This record gives sequence, structure tokens and C-alpha cells, in this order.
Amino acid sequence: MIKLENVTKVYKGDNVALRDATLGIDKGEFVFLVGASGSGKSTFIRLLNREEVPEHGTIYVAGKDIGTLGRWKVPYLRRNIGYIFQDFKLLPNKTVAENVAFALEVIGKPRHVIKKQVPAILELVGLSEKIANFPSELSGGEQQRVSIARAFVNRPLILLADEPTGNLDPQTSVGIMRLLDRINRTGTTVVMATHDRGIVDTMRRRVIELDRGVIVRDQARGVYE
Amino acid sequence: MAISPVYALRETGQNLWRNFMLSMATVITIGVSLWLFGGFFLFNYAVDNATQRWEGGIEFVVWMNPEATSEQNANILDAIMTSPEIQDYTFVDQDAAYEEFKDIFSDTPELIEVVTPEVMPPSYRVVPVDPDADVVAELAGQFEGRPGVKTVVSANDTIRDIQDLADEVSTVFLAGSLVLLAAATLLILTNIVSAIRNRGREIEIMKVVGATNWFIRIPFMFEGIMQALLGAVFAWGGLYVIDQRVIGRFSQPDSLELMAGFQVESDELIFTGGLVLGIAMAVSVIGSAIAVTRYLDA
Repeated sequence: MIKLENVTKVYKGDNVALRDATLGIDKGEFVFLVGASGSGKSTFIRLLNREEVPEHGTIYVAGKDIGTLGRWKVPYLRRNIGYIFQDFKLLPNKTVAENVAFALEVIGKPRHVIKKQVPAILELVGLSEKIANFPSELSGGEQQRVSIARAFVNRPLILLADEPTGNLDPQTSVGIMRLLDRINRTGTTVVMATHDRGIVDTMRRRVIELDRGVIVRDQARGVYE
Repeated sequence: MAISPVYALRETGQNLWRNFMLSMATVITIGVSLWLFGGFFLFNYAVDNATQRWEGGIEFVVWMNPEATSEQNANILDAIMTSPEIQDYTFVDQDAAYEEFKDIFSDTPELIEVVTPEVMPPSYRVVPVDPDADVVAELAGQFEGRPGVKTVVSANDTIRDIQDLADEVSTVFLAGSLVLLAAATLLILTNIVSAIRNRGREIEIMKVVGATNWFIRIPFMFEGIMQALLGAVFAWGGLYVIDQRVIGRFSQPDSLELMAGFQVESDELIFTGGLVLGIAMAVSVIGSAIAVTRYLDA
């Protein structure tokens, strides 16, 4: 599903965010990216979404070299990749349903599809009762569930999550991880950057550890360190 | 994937509403600049129409009284024909004058209805040998006050004054309108950049979920186009006022001799309106295209 071949990303001032990374992630895998702040986790995720372009190397997503995609094709790549933010990034002036519908509306989905898919995904994330609430009326965990619903409503092949539990308490984080696990069991590949030792140690999934841009560990059913 | 018109209109409306004050400032600036630009054209049309009768080297016109006797007419004709300083002349009789009047005032049939050929003054349109202003003035003066002559109107007294005035007014209109059009373009750009910044999070989400660049850009471009359209409507209103209240005032019957024809034909008014709309579209597309390509890149 995802393949990196000798990928290097360098920011201004010779700041190497990822150095000569080579790895593969299969369809349906759940992968934790761990490492200290500045180790390159977020860059790794942003490279998969073509928000960043590597200086060297090749990245394949669903069999396609995304480095050779024309700019006009990038949006179509992103329709196959859901993205979950640490700070949720919900639109405060839209209700829960409208926030989720927005993701379908802006890719031109017909109204009848939106009407069908939005309640279904909100039921999946356990927010059927909050459909008309605004983000300010929700708890942090509920807001992150909306963010996950928005990322998954288009049934993407891959879900990228950049520290999705970073702003949540441990108990709420467990609920979010259960939800991501459930989504993963539908066959969706999940790549999640995290600092949360407890979650990684509990779930025992594949762990890729980065240290100053270098992959120092790639362990099946791994732990945080 | 095609953008839904409902979505585009809704987003455009929201953008305009969120930036209401700046949007209004933009619309007014566009309106005033287009009004001046259109006014430049109308004024030039009016001057061209007013000076039409002076084409072909005619430098002065001897207007006869409609009641002038045939002897008085014969004396004037004799003076014209025997003058070595006159190269050519055209006699416009009352019927021809009436036809000319109808042509000039084709847009005001109510005026034509109250005028008959009998009240139209016949005239001699005179082409002198030497078109020098002093020579023409002296020659025209020879006919002034003679029996049967109503008045003598010389091109260098009237038309050149009108043309000088028109040139100055047009220059001011054109310069002012161009400066304001540049300001309007910058205002559209600023307005859209402000809207883009206000909607930073929405745009970020749109990009992440896979909205195409055009899907993101179009509502912002519509915003610029809507502002320009409203500005054009504002300008049309202003041009109508210029046509009816300013230019129309000069073409009243009491100013017939000096300013006859100082008016704008319907087709010229329509063309100017279309031109104003075209300029509005061009300004909005330039302003919004710069804004979205520079500040809304993927």
C-alpha cells in the first residue's frame, strides 16, 4: 500500500527531517510512528500526503509514484487518504454533521450521497446524538471523533493520524484508539504518529521509531521503546 | 469534478457578507471608476455628434431667419457666391434642416413632434479658401447683422471651444478613471486575500480532503466578479444620469444653434454600457486571478 525507497527530506538550513528512509507498509496494517519531537514523524506523514516533496527517493502510494503526480492530480490522491489532526481542525461555525458533510461537499459528492453517508459515519463514531451540535458544545474526545468521521467518511484506503490523542486525557485516548482500531479492521491502513507510550504498549502493533530523521527501529508487534 | 452552482453562490455570498465593509468599498470604487470611464466615452460621443455638421471643412454657418424674404436670401447668396474668400458652400433649406433635426433628435420623438419644417432656419454652410481662425472670424463677421440673417456661428468660436473643453474634461475623466480602476483592482485583490486568510482553516481542510484547486478558487473568483458586476450596475446608473441630466441639458431647443447634436445615441449608450461591463469583468478577473494564484496555491 505504501512504499518508501531511499527517501530524504531536507528543510532549509540543511535540517534533515528524514534521511534515506526505506520501508513498506501493507494494506490493512496499523503502524505507529514514534520518536522524540523533531525526529521526523510529522514530516513522514506529510510526505505520504504530498504536502511535502522529498529531495531524494521515491514514495509509492497504492502502487503509484506520488512524486511524479501532476499538481492537478494531487487532490485525487488525497481523496484516498484520510487525515486526522492533533488539534481536530473543526470548523467552529458548522455543526457536527456539516463538518463531516463538508469533506464530501468539497470533492463534489452529490447531495443524496452526502445525506446517506454522513449519518452512517456519525453512528460509527458514536455521535448520532450530537449531529446538530457545534464543536464548541463538544468535549475534546467528541471533537476528535468528528475529526475521525470527517477523515473516514469518504472511505479512504489510508488513514494518517498526526498525534490524534495528543490533546486528550488517557481515558478519552483509549476510546479514540478503539475507534481507530475498528476502522483498521475494515481493511483501512492506519499510520499514526504518537508520543503516547501507554497506547503503543497496549496495542502492540508495528512500531517504526525515528531518531533525527533516521529509522532506527522497525518492529512488528512492538512497544514504545 | 464540477463545482455545484449552489455551493459556489453560497460560498461567494458568505465571503461577501463576512467582508461587507471592504466589499462595499470595492463596489463603490469600481462603480465610480467605471462611471468616469464611461463618462469619458459618452462625452466624446456627444462632442462628435455635436461637431458632425462641421465636417468637410465647413468653418462657419449663416443661419437665416425662417421669415427672411426671398430678396434677403438672394442678397446673402449673392454675397457668398461673389466672395473671392469663399471656396464652397452648401445651402440647407428648411426641409433639409428639419431632416437634420430629426436625425439629431431621433432619441427624443416628443421634441420632433412639436417642431415643423416651417420653424426651422435655413442655413448656408460655408467653406472658406483660408481656414485660418482670424480670416474665418473676419469673413463670418461680414454676414453678421445683415437683413434676414438670424445669426452666424463660426467653428472657431464654438466648436473649438467645445472641443478644447471636451479634451480637458475627457483627459480628467480618463486619468481619474484609470487611477481608480487600478485602485479597484488592488481592492479586489486585497478583499480576496482577506477572505482567503479569514477562511484559512477551511481551505486547509479542503486541501487535505482532496478538493481541487479550482474548486477552492472559484468562490473567491466569483466574489471578485460579483463586486465588479455590482460596480458596473452602479456605473450604469451614473451614466444614465450623465446622459439624461448633463448631456441632455445641453441639447435643449434653446441651445439648438450652439449645441445641437450634443447628445448620445441609443446604440452609443448601449455600447458604452457593454464596454463598462467588459472592463469590470477584466478588472475583477485580473484582481481575483492574482489573489488566488498567489495566495491560494496548493
